[in-house]
Amino acid sequence: MTQNEIFELIAKHTKEVVPELENYDFKLTDSLKKLGANSIDRTELMTMMMESMGLDIPRIDLFGAQNIGELVEIFYAKTQSTS
Amino acid sequence: MQKHNQQVELLITGIGITSNIGQCKDSFTSALLKGDSVFGKVQRLGRQLEGKSFLGAEISDLTYPEDFPKRFLRSASFSSSVALVTLKEAWDEAELDNYEPERIGLIVGGSNFQQRHLQQIHQKHQTQPQFLTPTYGFSFLDTDLAALCTEHFAIKGLAYTVGGASASGQLAIIEAAKALQSGQVDICIALGALMDLSAWELQGFRALGAMGSEKYRDEPQKACRPFDQNRDGFIYGENCGAIVLERGNIRNKIKPYAKLTGWALAMDANRNPNPSHEGELKVIQQTLRQARLSSSDIDYINPHGTGSPLGDETELKALKSAKLNQAYINASKSIIGHGLTSAGTVEVIATLLQMKALKLHPSLNLETPIDNSFNWVKEKTIEHKIKKALTLSMGFGGINTALCLEK
Repeated sequence: MTQNEIFELIAKHTKEVVPELENYDFKLTDSLKKLGANSIDRTELMTMMMESMGLDIPRIDLFGAQNIGELVEIFYAKTQSTS
Repeated sequence: MQKHNQQVELLITGIGITSNIGQCKDSFTSALLKGDSVFGKVQRLGRQLEGKSFLGAEISDLTYPEDFPKRFLRSASFSSSVALVTLKEAWDEAELDNYEPERIGLIVGGSNFQQRHLQQIHQKHQTQPQFLTPTYGFSFLDTDLAALCTEHFAIKGLAYTVGGASASGQLAIIEAAKALQSGQVDICIALGALMDLSAWELQGFRALGAMGSEKYRDEPQKACRPFDQNRDGFIYGENCGAIVLERGNIRNKIKPYAKLTGWALAMDANRNPNPSHEGELKVIQQTLRQARLSSSDIDYINPHGTGSPLGDETELKALKSAKLNQAYINASKSIIGHGLTSAGTVEVIATLLQMKALKLHPSLNLETPIDNSFNWVKEKTIEHKIKKALTLSMGFGGINTALCLEK
């Protein structure tokens, strides 16, 4: 999966969790928290990403990203280490 | 019995209803008075077992208000979504938007009412539990329904659930009345939660012999027949109701539907589903005493009447022992089915809407009543101005409740 595909997947799932962002144009520099996704929403998003990407990894490995771009990098690194 | 403070009148000032025969008061009342039922084989996903089919009445085309929060839809159970929609109707009618949130409470009647929803989640994640939706960690609790309602309507007084099996809906009303009398809140909503049965509970009820209908499996419209000689158990119905109760001295401009003047709760000291003549008679007598009414004052009874062979017979014996044969009596469940946790609230609503319409709804399939000494409303709607009503609920595990409502 490419970094761009991961970014698109994050945008898709974020819209599912926070329907108010349905027409929002996501950017790599966006913070999920600032977009209105609370901690439960973000936990939901991580699980949806793991399921969509087929990643069975500890959730703690996904902590620390400050924006969507950093989250893309974390997921991308996971695909590299598990493929 | 609760000591009733006669100084404080308890008024019902708002109603919300979502049922299998209609959403909102107008369509519900219209279908109820016409006796338009929708019984058939249950279709909702999660209500099928291989080789089995069950009868019931399900809600179709639930309409959400425009301001309904979309993000709730993804994680809310069906019971919770229906509760939010139902509460909205009652909330708006009682004009609660501008009332102090700390003085408003919500009591939800029911426990274990999200069974089908939970079973669907279990099934989906059976092979990959690591991808279970994290909100399951709190949404599996019945209290999530109450929590969603408090968030959406900004309720800050109190909110909790009470479980009393099929008497839960009346139990919620009793707890709301107590919260008003104690002064905890000024306004308290009682909501009978939609019991979302999965195929497992349906099969359990069938195995227990509580649920019909083996006799009428190919004629679903005939299956639900409370108090008729050919009844063979209750038929399930999806329903949810909310009523707004308030102290009579806090607002002047809201015109009430009726006053709640009596309530009673008694246990049979019995874990099993069988009814008790003694327990039922006790709550009838207690609620009449609290309302300071005699049997002859009651002009309408909305009974529990499920279609259970022993339950219906026991209830009529209790009513007869209380000398209540003269009052009009009909069976709401013959039209809307048995909502279990919601039944007590929904049938109070049916009583209030008949009171307002000055009419009594028919009792479907009441061809040969098991006792002809009662004043049955049978196949035809009749004109009647309800002044003083008695409503009853009974639940598995020996719980009996009764309420008095006065115009």
